[in-house]
Amino acid sequence: MADYKAVHIEKGPGGWGGPLTILPTDDAPLIYSVTGGGIHPIAARIAELTGGEAFDGFKSSAPFEKIAVAVIDCGGTARIGVYPMKKVKTVDIHATSPAGPLAMFITEELLVSGVKLDNIKPVD
Amino acid sequence: MTAHYKSTVTEIGELVPAFIAEGMLVFFGEGAPEELRDFCIMHEVSHKQDQLVVGDYVVIDSYEFEILAVGDVANENLMNLGHLNLKANGNTQPDLPGDVCIAEVELPEIRIGTSFSITRR
Repeated sequence: MADYKAVHIEKGPGGWGGPLTILPTDDAPLIYSVTGGGIHPIAARIAELTGGEAFDGFKSSAPFEKIAVAVIDCGGTARIGVYPMKKVKTVDIHATSPAGPLAMFITEELLVSGVKLDNIKPVD
Repeated sequence: MTAHYKSTVTEIGELVPAFIAEGMLVFFGEGAPEELRDFCIMHEVSHKQDQLVVGDYVVIDSYEFEILAVGDVANENLMNLGHLNLKANGNTQPDLPGDVCIAEVELPEIRIGTSFSITRR
Protein backbone atom coordinates (compact mmCIF):
# COMPACT_ATOMS: atom_id res chain seq x y z
CA MET A 1 0.00 0.00 0.00
CA ALA A 2 1.47 3.31 -1.03
CA ASP A 3 0.96 6.30 1.23
CA TYR A 4 -1.00 8.84 -0.79
CA LYS A 5 -1.64 12.46 0.16
CA ALA A 6 -4.33 14.81 -1.16
CA VAL A 7 -3.67 18.06 -3.00
CA HIS A 8 -5.93 21.03 -3.58
CA ILE A 9 -5.78 22.57 -7.06
CA GLU A 10 -7.19 26.01 -7.81
CA LYS A 11 -7.69 27.74 -11.12
CA GLY A 12 -4.94 30.08 -12.26
CA PRO A 13 -5.18 33.59 -13.75
CA GLY A 14 -8.05 33.71 -16.27
CA GLY A 15 -8.82 30.05 -15.57
CA TRP A 16 -12.12 28.27 -14.98
CA GLY A 17 -13.62 25.65 -12.68
CA GLY A 18 -12.43 23.81 -9.61
CA PRO A 19 -11.07 23.84 -7.05
CA LEU A 20 -10.34 20.12 -7.25
CA THR A 21 -9.03 17.85 -4.54
CA ILE A 22 -6.91 15.04 -5.95
CA LEU A 23 -6.15 11.92 -3.90
CA PRO A 24 -4.68 8.95 -5.79
CA THR A 25 -5.55 5.44 -4.60
CA ASP A 26 -4.09 1.99 -5.21
CA ASP A 27 -6.85 1.44 -7.81
CA ALA A 28 -6.38 4.87 -9.44
CA PRO A 29 -2.75 5.90 -8.90
CA LEU A 30 -2.00 7.64 -12.21
CA ILE A 31 -1.26 11.31 -12.78
CA TYR A 32 -1.97 11.06 -16.49
CA SER A 33 -0.10 13.65 -18.56
CA VAL A 34 -1.64 14.09 -22.03
CA THR A 35 0.68 16.89 -23.09
CA GLY A 36 3.33 17.48 -25.72
CA GLY A 37 6.93 16.68 -24.84
CA GLY A 38 6.61 14.15 -22.01
CA ILE A 39 5.45 14.54 -18.40
CA HIS A 40 4.39 18.14 -17.87
CA PRO A 41 5.90 19.94 -14.81
CA ILE A 42 2.36 20.38 -13.43
CA ALA A 43 1.80 16.60 -13.59
CA ALA A 44 5.24 16.02 -12.07
CA ARG A 45 4.40 18.33 -9.15
CA ILE A 46 1.02 16.67 -8.52
CA ALA A 47 2.75 13.26 -8.56
CA GLU A 48 5.46 14.47 -6.18
CA LEU A 49 2.99 15.92 -3.68
CA THR A 50 0.44 13.08 -3.78
CA GLY A 51 2.70 10.06 -4.17
CA GLY A 52 0.81 9.19 -7.38
CA GLU A 53 2.52 7.82 -10.47
CA ALA A 54 3.31 10.28 -13.29
CA PHE A 55 2.29 8.66 -16.58
CA ASP A 56 2.84 9.85 -20.18
CA GLY A 57 -0.41 9.32 -22.10
CA PHE A 58 1.32 9.82 -25.44
CA LYS A 59 3.82 7.02 -24.78
CA SER A 60 1.39 4.35 -23.66
CA SER A 61 -2.25 4.20 -22.67
CA ALA A 62 -4.06 3.32 -19.49
CA PRO A 63 -7.73 2.58 -18.71
CA PHE A 64 -9.78 5.55 -17.43
CA GLU A 65 -10.45 3.89 -14.06
CA LYS A 66 -6.70 3.93 -13.28
CA ILE A 67 -6.48 7.72 -13.63
CA ALA A 68 -6.50 9.92 -10.50
CA VAL A 69 -6.23 13.08 -12.58
CA ALA A 70 -5.57 13.93 -16.23
CA VAL A 71 -3.25 16.86 -16.99
CA ILE A 72 -3.75 18.40 -20.44
CA ASP A 73 -2.43 21.34 -22.44
CA CYS A 74 -5.60 21.70 -24.43
CA GLY A 75 -6.45 24.80 -26.42
CA GLY A 76 -10.12 24.32 -25.65
CA THR A 77 -11.85 21.94 -28.05
CA ALA A 78 -11.05 18.29 -27.70
CA ARG A 79 -9.04 17.00 -24.76
CA ILE A 80 -10.87 19.45 -22.48
CA GLY A 81 -14.00 17.32 -22.81
CA VAL A 82 -12.78 13.76 -23.20
CA TYR A 83 -11.70 13.11 -19.65
CA PRO A 84 -14.62 14.96 -17.99
CA MET A 85 -16.92 12.91 -20.26
CA LYS A 86 -15.53 9.81 -18.53
CA LYS A 87 -15.84 11.51 -15.10
CA VAL A 88 -12.06 11.83 -14.83
CA LYS A 89 -10.90 14.96 -12.99
CA THR A 90 -8.91 17.15 -15.37
CA VAL A 91 -6.34 19.92 -15.02
CA ASP A 92 -5.78 22.14 -18.07
CA ILE A 93 -2.58 24.19 -17.97
CA HIS A 94 -4.13 26.63 -20.45
CA ALA A 95 -6.78 29.07 -19.23
CA THR A 96 -9.69 27.68 -21.21
CA SER A 97 -13.43 27.52 -20.54
CA PRO A 98 -15.86 24.80 -21.62
CA ALA A 99 -16.50 24.82 -25.37
CA GLY A 100 -16.94 22.49 -28.29
CA PRO A 101 -19.18 19.47 -28.84
CA LEU A 102 -18.14 17.97 -25.49
CA ALA A 103 -18.84 21.13 -23.43
CA MET A 104 -21.95 19.58 -21.88
CA PHE A 105 -19.77 17.10 -19.96
CA ILE A 106 -17.49 19.71 -18.43
CA THR A 107 -18.33 20.86 -14.90
CA GLU A 108 -16.53 22.81 -12.18
CA GLU A 109 -16.26 19.57 -10.19
CA LEU A 110 -14.33 17.92 -13.04
CA LEU A 111 -12.22 20.63 -14.66
CA VAL A 112 -9.87 23.32 -13.44
CA SER A 113 -7.91 25.42 -15.94
CA GLY A 114 -5.10 27.94 -16.19
CA VAL A 115 -3.27 26.01 -13.46
CA LYS A 116 0.27 27.07 -12.51
CA LEU A 117 2.63 25.38 -10.06
CA ASP A 118 1.58 27.85 -7.32
CA ASN A 119 -2.04 26.72 -7.63
CA ILE A 120 -1.24 23.21 -6.37
CA LYS A 121 -1.12 22.93 -2.59
CA PRO A 122 -0.90 20.01 -0.20
CA VAL A 123 -3.96 19.40 1.98
CA ASP A 124 -3.00 19.29 5.66
CA MET B 1 3.11 27.47 -53.75
CA THR B 2 5.11 25.38 -51.27
CA ALA B 3 3.84 23.05 -48.61
CA HIS B 4 5.44 23.45 -45.21
CA TYR B 5 3.34 20.78 -43.52
CA LYS B 6 2.09 17.59 -45.16
CA SER B 7 0.24 14.57 -43.89
CA THR B 8 -2.12 11.76 -44.87
CA VAL B 9 -5.27 10.72 -43.00
CA THR B 10 -4.91 7.22 -41.52
CA GLU B 11 -7.96 6.81 -39.29
CA ILE B 12 -11.31 8.55 -38.68
CA GLY B 13 -13.00 8.32 -35.27
CA GLU B 14 -16.67 7.46 -34.78
CA LEU B 15 -17.56 10.87 -33.35
CA VAL B 16 -15.87 12.88 -36.13
CA PRO B 17 -19.24 13.56 -37.86
CA ALA B 18 -20.51 15.30 -34.67
CA PHE B 19 -17.54 17.66 -34.86
CA ILE B 20 -17.92 18.19 -38.61
CA ALA B 21 -21.59 19.11 -37.98
CA GLU B 22 -20.28 21.95 -35.79
CA GLY B 23 -17.76 22.99 -38.46
CA MET B 24 -14.73 21.48 -36.75
CA LEU B 25 -12.04 19.05 -37.74
CA VAL B 26 -9.82 17.76 -34.94
CA PHE B 27 -6.55 16.18 -36.01
CA PHE B 28 -4.05 14.23 -33.93
CA GLY B 29 -0.74 12.69 -34.93
CA GLU B 30 0.36 9.10 -34.45
CA GLY B 31 0.81 8.19 -30.81
CA ALA B 32 -2.35 9.94 -29.57
CA PRO B 33 -3.94 8.01 -26.70
CA GLU B 34 -6.73 5.58 -27.53
CA GLU B 35 -9.42 7.72 -25.87
CA LEU B 36 -8.78 10.61 -28.25
CA ARG B 37 -9.18 8.48 -31.36
CA ASP B 38 -12.99 8.29 -31.17
CA PHE B 39 -13.48 11.90 -32.08
CA CYS B 40 -10.42 12.78 -34.06
CA ILE B 41 -8.86 12.36 -37.45
CA MET B 42 -5.53 10.57 -37.14
CA HIS B 43 -2.89 11.52 -39.65
CA GLU B 44 0.63 10.53 -40.47
CA VAL B 45 2.89 13.53 -40.90
CA SER B 46 5.41 13.25 -43.72
CA HIS B 47 6.83 16.77 -43.69
CA LYS B 48 6.91 19.62 -41.19
CA GLN B 49 9.12 22.56 -41.81
CA ASP B 50 7.55 25.73 -40.55
CA GLN B 51 4.82 27.14 -38.33
CA LEU B 52 1.49 28.12 -39.78
CA VAL B 53 0.51 31.78 -39.94
CA VAL B 54 -2.52 33.82 -40.97
CA GLY B 55 -2.66 33.93 -44.78
CA ASP B 56 -1.35 30.38 -45.24
CA TYR B 57 -3.68 27.88 -46.87
CA VAL B 58 -5.03 24.62 -45.50
CA VAL B 59 -5.30 22.19 -48.40
CA ILE B 60 -7.50 19.11 -48.01
CA ASP B 61 -7.28 16.98 -51.18
CA SER B 62 -8.18 19.53 -53.90
CA TYR B 63 -9.89 22.04 -51.58
CA GLU B 64 -8.05 25.15 -50.38
CA PHE B 65 -8.98 27.31 -47.41
CA GLU B 66 -7.20 30.50 -46.38
CA ILE B 67 -6.25 30.65 -42.70
CA LEU B 68 -7.93 33.66 -41.05
CA ALA B 69 -6.79 33.24 -37.44
CA VAL B 70 -4.26 31.19 -35.48
CA GLY B 71 -4.58 30.68 -31.70
CA ASP B 72 -1.65 31.11 -29.34
CA VAL B 73 -1.07 27.40 -28.74
CA ALA B 74 -2.07 26.11 -32.20
CA ASN B 75 1.49 25.84 -33.50
CA GLU B 76 2.74 24.19 -30.32
CA ASN B 77 -0.06 21.61 -30.61
CA LEU B 78 0.66 20.98 -34.28
CA MET B 79 4.42 20.65 -33.96
CA ASN B 80 4.45 18.54 -30.77
CA LEU B 81 1.35 16.40 -31.12
CA GLY B 82 0.27 16.68 -34.76
CA HIS B 83 -2.83 18.18 -33.14
CA LEU B 84 -4.96 20.76 -34.92
CA ASN B 85 -8.44 22.15 -34.23
CA LEU B 86 -9.59 23.49 -37.57
CA LYS B 87 -12.75 25.59 -37.33
CA ALA B 88 -14.83 26.74 -40.26
CA ASN B 89 -16.35 29.69 -38.41
CA GLY B 90 -15.07 32.71 -40.31
CA ASN B 91 -13.42 34.16 -37.19
CA THR B 92 -10.48 36.51 -37.61
CA GLN B 93 -9.84 36.35 -33.84
CA PRO B 94 -9.57 32.84 -32.42
CA ASP B 95 -12.14 32.05 -29.67
CA LEU B 96 -9.83 29.51 -28.10
CA PRO B 97 -6.03 29.29 -27.94
CA GLY B 98 -5.96 26.03 -29.92
CA ASP B 99 -8.08 27.28 -32.82
CA VAL B 100 -7.09 27.65 -36.45
CA CYS B 101 -9.94 29.41 -38.25
CA ILE B 102 -11.02 29.39 -41.90
CA ALA B 103 -14.09 30.86 -43.64
CA GLU B 104 -17.51 29.52 -42.72
CA VAL B 105 -17.67 26.87 -45.44
CA GLU B 106 -18.92 23.33 -45.77
CA LEU B 107 -16.00 21.07 -44.90
CA PRO B 108 -14.94 18.53 -47.50
CA GLU B 109 -15.38 14.82 -46.99
CA ILE B 110 -12.49 13.26 -45.11
CA ARG B 111 -11.52 9.69 -45.96
CA ILE B 112 -8.65 7.43 -45.10
CA GLY B 113 -5.93 8.49 -47.53
CA THR B 114 -7.13 12.11 -47.75
CA SER B 115 -4.13 14.40 -48.09
CA PHE B 116 -3.70 17.36 -45.77
CA SER B 117 -1.19 20.16 -46.15
CA ILE B 118 -0.45 23.74 -45.21
CA THR B 119 0.93 25.89 -47.99
CA ARG B 120 2.18 29.41 -48.51
CA ARG B 121 1.96 31.46 -51.70
